[in-house]
Amino acid sequence: MVDDEKRNDILKRLSDGVVYYDEEKVIVASNEAVEDGLDPFDAIMNGLAAGMEIVGQLYEKQEYFVPEILMCADALYGGLNILRPHLKAKEMKEAVKGQVVIGVVQGDVHDIGKNLVKMMFDVAGFTVHDLGADVPLEKFAEEQVRTDSNIIALSAMMTTTMMGMKKVIHMIKERNPDVAIMVGGAPLTKEVADIFGADGYAENAGNAVQEAIKMISRLREMHAKQQLGATP
Amino acid sequence: MAKQLLIDAYRGKKTETAPWVPYAGVHAAYLIGEKADKYLQDPDLIAKGVLFAAERYKADGVPLIFDLNVEAISMGCQAKWVLDNPPAVVSHPLQDKSLKEANLKIPTAKDGRWPVIVEAGKKVMAKKGDWVLMGLLCGPLTLASHLRGVKIFTDVIKNRPLAKEIIDFAGKVGAESARIYRDIGCEIIAIVDPVASQIKPQTFREFVTPACQEAIKVIHDAGLTSSFFICGDATKVLEEVCQVGTHGFAIDEQLNLNYVRDLAVKYNKGFGGNLKLTLALSLGIVNPKEDAIVSLAAGGLTGYTFAPG
Repeated sequence: MVDDEKRNDILKRLSDGVVYYDEEKVIVASNEAVEDGLDPFDAIMNGLAAGMEIVGQLYEKQEYFVPEILMCADALYGGLNILRPHLKAKEMKEAVKGQVVIGVVQGDVHDIGKNLVKMMFDVAGFTVHDLGADVPLEKFAEEQVRTDSNIIALSAMMTTTMMGMKKVIHMIKERNPDVAIMVGGAPLTKEVADIFGADGYAENAGNAVQEAIKMISRLREMHAKQQLGATP
Repeated sequence: MAKQLLIDAYRGKKTETAPWVPYAGVHAAYLIGEKADKYLQDPDLIAKGVLFAAERYKADGVPLIFDLNVEAISMGCQAKWVLDNPPAVVSHPLQDKSLKEANLKIPTAKDGRWPVIVEAGKKVMAKKGDWVLMGLLCGPLTLASHLRGVKIFTDVIKNRPLAKEIIDFAGKVGAESARIYRDIGCEIIAIVDPVASQIKPQTFREFVTPACQEAIKVIHDAGLTSSFFICGDATKVLEEVCQVGTHGFAIDEQLNLNYVRDLAVKYNKGFGGNLKLTLALSLGIVNPKEDAIVSLAAGGLTGYTFAPG
């Protein structure tokens, strides 16, 4: 066990290391967390993820751009690779919030944004099934059925490929209306997401996970209400 | 349709009316009932599509092609051709090799995809009316990202000499593209660097600006008109764009045209945009006519070209 002072020191170094994309600092602090017996889940959520939240804010304020975000992501993974093997099975189970199928839609090979969102899901404890880029539209529906995932995250960078999202959403909702589908990418807006029939819109990687959790809750509530209404 | 009107606007001058450029791209293929992959590899179809688009839209200028993969594919990057878009680059020769190891050569008019484009350009030039045939070349950061892959974005922070070497090389490739478009007869040549909006102003200044200079010199030495096209939310780097050295620039629908106009006037630059393609034409959320009126009102008559964003 570590005392509060030591814990706060390690968490701050993990967070700072991510924010200032100092991978070496994150690795040192992560190893120290393991050696000193700091709860690895605490280190991930309140150190690495907390840092990434600040990075998201800096991106929104346009102080950080794609290069800085990618550097921060490298630093975060540097720590995650050390800390994650030390999570206990029970913590892993508790940490798993759901399963996500993620990919860039057909015709589009731009995967920077998708990879950042994937990382955020990773950190938040989701099981991620990454289909990569240029994914045939029907593959999303197939993978959802195969993995029984409760979230589909679709990414596109081009206006033309973005239009394919509507087809994917229709395809999946037709088979399983309880799946939560979120969309994101340069040409997307909340308005477009609504028109496409998506359950959530990821404005950036930072809010993707929060949006995913929100939409799962919304769908669960709707499902519960429907069941209540169906009860004689 | 008026060539001089467009050139004046692109150079930041006052015009009596705002000239109009539909960046038809592979939409020109659609207009003549062809698929993008076949269209982009056939000089007769490209010429037919460009001439048809110029006439159909009563344009003051039309790009010969709008495909930022020409240079990369001509250097050996693998491409995935599709029916309704330009091809996508799917391999990055500098991902794990140095420039020297990869032995990349700057493509000339005789290499890769260029012969088809040159032939198409000559056919258009022989038949076109009073409008500008525009040459669009792939900007240095975008081309560097084709060659190096996503690593180029972290290289600009942690591996700067390598990033500089690759982006400068991409700039030299762009300069050769400018020579090719010059020789075809394009009166306006634009450096198109969509991903340059995704970096800090300092990074833009350090890497993109220097790498554009050779292409700009080629264009200006020939007495032609230059522009710099950027995509996405380029607000933070727009001052850098104004200072890159071209006569003007073009932006997309994500920017506030009032802000863009004020900055363009401050730097005496031509500027183009920003009809909301996605919202108005693809999705119908915004009325295209109202959107056009708003754009024209915001753009004004000093250096403004009415165009999709």
